[in-house]
Amino acid sequence: MLTIIFGDYKEANYISNPDMFFDNTYEDKWLESDLAKDIVKDIDKSDLEGPNLVVSPVLGSIPVTRISGGAKTLIQIAFDSEHIFNASACGDNCAKWLLKIGNDKDIVVRMGHVMHFPEESFDIKIANTGDIVHTPYELVEKVITEGLLD
Amino acid sequence: MVGRYDIELYNNKVHYHLNVKRNITVLRGDSASGKSELIRLLSAYNANPESSGITLISEKACSVLTEENWKLFIESYKERIFFIDEGNTFLATEEFAKAVKTADHYFVIISRERLPQLSYSIEEIYGLREGDEAGKYRNATRIYNEMYQLYNNQFGNVAELEPITIIPYSRQRVVWEGADLRSCSEWYHNAINKGDE
Repeated sequence: MLTIIFGDYKEANYISNPDMFFDNTYEDKWLESDLAKDIVKDIDKSDLEGPNLVVSPVLGSIPVTRISGGAKTLIQIAFDSEHIFNASACGDNCAKWLLKIGNDKDIVVRMGHVMHFPEESFDIKIANTGDIVHTPYELVEKVITEGLLD
Repeated sequence: MVGRYDIELYNNKVHYHLNVKRNITVLRGDSASGKSELIRLLSAYNANPESSGITLISEKACSVLTEENWKLFIESYKERIFFIDEGNTFLATEEFAKAVKTADHYFVIISRERLPQLSYSIEEIYGLREGDEAGKYRNATRIYNEMYQLYNNQFGNVAELEPITIIPYSRQRVVWEGADLRSCSEWYHNAINKGDE
């Protein structure tokens, strides 16, 4: 299940800048997975050919360090379970991937904003309160009424 | 520093056209819309303006602020447009907020985080998209990007809505300060509609 910590989070395993962290810590085997290829294809509209090459329709052949911050963050969330990543580096187009990764394994992310999740039924646990919400409306209402981002 | 400034930044692959008109402009939007590429391009330009192959057209000088240089740049330079990528921890500090208040610069901030210590208008929150001018610039090797306003048209201007009694003050404050204004405004309008039923 996807668990979200809203607001400040300052533990030692927290990565506030997943974009930079990825560039210096990614493992080649992550980028050989179908999941990483699908994420890069969907988010960046680019082909992840392997650990050393991405083919972008705009930028041409680029290193993996130039894929989007959102794609980098999703890949790390999927493969690096030692850290808690700042999911506010992800745009709304990453929301469905957070749910998908969370369906396959338990993941915990931190957010400093309210992501716009798809209008479908889901299970997201809010770590701050322990509540499990099932719709975008419930999520936004809980964040606001509990003042989780105040 | 007052007024409206057009900024064009481009190389052989991408072309950005930005228009900033207040001291703080916030860029948000989907991942892979080109926000970080904008920062990368500007950094590369400033590292070597004449030989970078990158063109910057702007009445005011433009620079990228980082964890390392932000204090020095804000204090040292006059009337610049500063760009700040997401992930910089100084964005959330009171020290930065104070520096912004007294500075004679414009700031373009890429962040989805709440920035309650900074005073900015929801009308100055933008995304990046492939622009209407794409036909002019687009060929096999170049994409034209422009800014678009994120939070003014979908539901009207949230800031201009009349406060309603069914929502406690604290909730309205969150809406106006904008944790995520699109989601909050949807919630806000849903609440209004429920109140009408």
